[in-house]
Amino acid sequence: MNSRRGSGDGGAGSATYPETPPWQLRCLLLPGTRGRRPIIRKWAQSVFRSCSRCGLPRVTAGMKPILLQGHERSITQIKYNREGDLLFTVAKDPIVNVWYSVNGERLGTYMGHTGAVWCVDADWDTKHVLTGSADNSCRLWDCETGKQLALLKTNSAVRTCGFDFGGNIIMFSTDKQMGYQCFVSFFDLRDPSQIDNNEPYMKIPCNDSKITSAVWGPLGECIIAGHESGELNQYSAKSGEVLVNVKEHSRQINDIQLSRDMTMFVTASKDNTAKLFDSTTLEHQKTFRTERPVNSAALSPNYDHVVLGGGQEAMDVTTTSTRIGKFEARFFHLAFEEEFGRVKGHFGPINSVAFHPDGKSYSSGGEDGYVRIHYFDPQYFEFEFEA
Amino acid sequence: MQDAENVAVPEAAEERAEPGQQQPAAEPPPDEGLLRPAGPGAPEAAGTEASSEEVAVAEAGPEPEGEAPGEQARDERADSRAQAASENAGGNEGSAAEAEPRALENGDADEPSFSDPEDFVDDVSEEELLGDVLKDRPQEADGIDSVIVVDNVPQVGPDRLEKLKNVIHKIFSKFGKITNDFYPEEDGKTKGYIFLEYASPAHAVDAVKNADGYKLDKQHTFRVNLFTDFDKYMTISDEWDIPEKQPFKDLGNLRYWLEEAECRDQYSVIFESGDRTSIFWNDVKDPVSIEERARWTETYVRWSPKGTYLATFHQRGIALWGGEKFKQIQRFSHQGVQLIDFSPCERYLVTFSPLMDTQDDPQAIIIWDILTGHKKRGFHCESSAHWPIFKWSHDGKFFARMTLDTLSIYETPSMGLLDKKSLKISGIKDFSWSPGGNIIAFWVPEDKDIPARVTLMQLPTRQEIRVRNLFNVVDCKLHWQKNGDYLCVKVDRTPKGTQGVVTNFEIFRMREKQVPVDVVEMKETIIAFAWEPNGSKFAVLHGEAPRISVSFYHVKNNGKIELIKMFDKQQANTIFWSPQGQFVVLAGLRSMNGALAFVDTSDCTVMNIAEHYMASDVEWDPTGRYVVTSVSWWSHKVDNAYWLWTFQGRLLQKNNKDRFCQLLWRPRPPTLLSQEQIKQIKKDLKKYSKIFEQKDRLSQSKASKELVERRRTMMEDFRKYRKMAQELYMEQKNERLELRGGVDTDELDSNVDDWEEETIEFFVTEEIIPLGNQE
Repeated sequence: MNSRRGSGDGGAGSATYPETPPWQLRCLLLPGTRGRRPIIRKWAQSVFRSCSRCGLPRVTAGMKPILLQGHERSITQIKYNREGDLLFTVAKDPIVNVWYSVNGERLGTYMGHTGAVWCVDADWDTKHVLTGSADNSCRLWDCETGKQLALLKTNSAVRTCGFDFGGNIIMFSTDKQMGYQCFVSFFDLRDPSQIDNNEPYMKIPCNDSKITSAVWGPLGECIIAGHESGELNQYSAKSGEVLVNVKEHSRQINDIQLSRDMTMFVTASKDNTAKLFDSTTLEHQKTFRTERPVNSAALSPNYDHVVLGGGQEAMDVTTTSTRIGKFEARFFHLAFEEEFGRVKGHFGPINSVAFHPDGKSYSSGGEDGYVRIHYFDPQYFEFEFEA
Repeated sequence: MQDAENVAVPEAAEERAEPGQQQPAAEPPPDEGLLRPAGPGAPEAAGTEASSEEVAVAEAGPEPEGEAPGEQARDERADSRAQAASENAGGNEGSAAEAEPRALENGDADEPSFSDPEDFVDDVSEEELLGDVLKDRPQEADGIDSVIVVDNVPQVGPDRLEKLKNVIHKIFSKFGKITNDFYPEEDGKTKGYIFLEYASPAHAVDAVKNADGYKLDKQHTFRVNLFTDFDKYMTISDEWDIPEKQPFKDLGNLRYWLEEAECRDQYSVIFESGDRTSIFWNDVKDPVSIEERARWTETYVRWSPKGTYLATFHQRGIALWGGEKFKQIQRFSHQGVQLIDFSPCERYLVTFSPLMDTQDDPQAIIIWDILTGHKKRGFHCESSAHWPIFKWSHDGKFFARMTLDTLSIYETPSMGLLDKKSLKISGIKDFSWSPGGNIIAFWVPEDKDIPARVTLMQLPTRQEIRVRNLFNVVDCKLHWQKNGDYLCVKVDRTPKGTQGVVTNFEIFRMREKQVPVDVVEMKETIIAFAWEPNGSKFAVLHGEAPRISVSFYHVKNNGKIELIKMFDKQQANTIFWSPQGQFVVLAGLRSMNGALAFVDTSDCTVMNIAEHYMASDVEWDPTGRYVVTSVSWWSHKVDNAYWLWTFQGRLLQKNNKDRFCQLLWRPRPPTLLSQEQIKQIKKDLKKYSKIFEQKDRLSQSKASKELVERRRTMMEDFRKYRKMAQELYMEQKNERLELRGGVDTDELDSNVDDWEEETIEFFVTEEIIPLGNQE
């Protein structure tokens, strides 16, 4: 595997293992995981099944996934870094985990939060990691050492966070909670006084409907925010004004993810659909329909594919079997809006999905607390729609 | 009768003159022999209401004490009062006259004068001024509505008159207080008819209804009529008015859907928890919408038995829709209607509403004529029997209902009881019409030494064509084969000396002489039973979950009943035969998770085993080509959808509809082809199938072509969009480079030269080595 990381961070370098960094000692060891090493399993044969509706062969990802057990509570978000060698996972427990995506080994944890962690982001060169939590704080970490670089206190839970394109400006949004408004705050990391004084250079109030998901737009000129009402807003990162407003979803937008080239993004909504938009104009392009709330959607970097994760709402899950919950990750063709594959595995709704930047694997984190890394089998790459 | 009236009126007028003079006081009229129907120009002094007005008038005098009304107005009032008084008996005049000067006195005293000038003309009508008061003004009532005429009363002399009066009083005071009676006399004898007056018209109506036809003794049967009726029938014009011709409403061809070139069927779908209703053409590819309306019905819909009408339910009644555009054809106003039933001939509609019922106007169940929209008859609904309460014979000529110990059979179009009387069948538990003839089957349970009995009765002759006695019966269920060829009575028995319930099927062969009966004994509990439509097979689900078996039996021509095949370990609780027979779907609905088995009973092979998770309904299309399974929002709140299968169990479509509730196929009327023609078609099936196969191939290739075409355009559009987006992306390359300090990150490996290679090995297998002596 090619790693961008410098020779230093591996510690003992070319030994059988990258030596455990000292800060990993603080990592929470889950029962049963002590002394064990993750396993790379052989990928199983894929299963070809005929789709009953269209008669086309349906790729069902039959590969055995890598199961990451590092959280005690349901996963809230997972994210690859730009190169895809690391996978960051956060959950409703205070732990922030980082894993080697290739084999699922845990690299370490970022310890400090005291509440559920809602969001995580890494900057483009994987120097910094940003996390937002329900403990009313947003924290900046040094990715390599695990050192907490900044602690930004807020009045309410931090729901979304992100680095801009250049990695210089951070953005996070807070919940409408305990009498406090929903705000989007912007800090420029190049100006240390902003962090030190906890004074963002801009704070956009959001009075109507709280922000439930947000990402930076291309080139860091704006942020795209999805609201509880199903609205999408594009806020300027300079003036804070609303540049574009659209409402294509009827219910809460759970997730927004950009394509690799950042020209388009996909939203996942509680209204059982995921939609594709242009990221500059916010023009609606495509709709992907399911029968269940969609919690997360991710675009493939090299194919016209989108993966949707979701399932019956978590509060109803205990009353139904996994079978009826439809906790599968579902693959749709971007242009045809047609479903062509499903991957089973989670026994609760999927809360977050992410494509590996090389498009050869994807990961999903579920309400069941597991993160699964799935590598695609050859049939996935060969599959094509008749057109 | 005519005499009676002619005589009565002048006499009444004469009598009236008297009391008029004695009526100044508001006393109740003395209870003497006076009759008050008003003649021409009769004073209105009679009724009690009139006397109350007198009181009001008498008191009105001193009333304007405080503020004296304008003189003119007062004058007018006084005038009108005087008028009213003069219309009354003479005695009142005095008091009114007295009142006037007194009022004047008061007005003149020390109050300021509000009098109008002399020439003032009041242009405000009284109606406008005191509309609300005037509305309550006592209305003229002559009391004539409360009078009845009784004929066929014994003619008696004065000696026995008192006795007669007593008898009459006894009979007629049941319906209300008699305030007045009159016995006309002639030659010292009564005339044989009498007049009675009640306190209110309602009592009179009641008396007419109940006492008409009352048998006093052998010679005397009362004929009771309303006095006003005489008037009504007297004035009937001798000339017959030609009824106005009703314009013919052209509703188009109500059976247009049968002429569809592809022979497709229609179905109705209710979804969005009942807010929307749609009609679709069933198509192998995708359903084709014909009509979709919001809030078309408030609860559910029903098709008429031949598919002509679609009935929708509303708080205020039922509406029928039909024709090509589903226009409203008829409305039936029945407040709070809940259940309906069509007669098999589609002539009549039976509606049921739990509201609306009153003692003397039965409205719980109403039978309507569909073509005219008129109410044919109303019924009470005393028992909470199963709907339909009225069961129709196959041709719609008769309908029957069961009440305690009685079976009432009515005939159409008169809606009257057949032969004017019900059948007394003590202990009758259940009945059912044969779908193939006017035969009724009913059963009565055991009563001490008399065995339980299943009886077949021919109608309208009421001839019992077969009676079967049964012993130790717990319960019976009647199952007719669809053509009426066979009747199966499922008998649950507890034979002496055994414990538990044993079930027998008593199979009646209706088409043979004497109706022979054969018995099939079942050892296990029966879950479901169903006859093959148009055939002589039946299917039985038996056993206890999870060991449920299905057995197929065949009733041979010689009467032998043969077990064809038994499948055990079935996941099923309901049997759905194809309407054409031969094919059957065994479904495990609801609690059994929607397991489905498609069976061909000609050789008893299971064609397919499938599942529609949590399915709640199975509906065959009327031709037996398709089956729909569905998960209704009414029974299950998630995954509401209907799936279309071929009769062989090949899944064709999954149609997810938000909060889908109900799917109903539009029924087809019976075929017009004769048996021979059907046989001929079956013989030439090969010829036809070739044509159809070619058609299918054509449409299939067309469909896939369409799909590919659609995808191609979608792809092209998408490519266009992507090209635009990428152009923009490329334009921004420099900005990106700038933002990331000159590092090109556009491709994952675009700055591969900067990378340092590092070899990392990973564990591929796992080995756990126990760490020494842990315990």
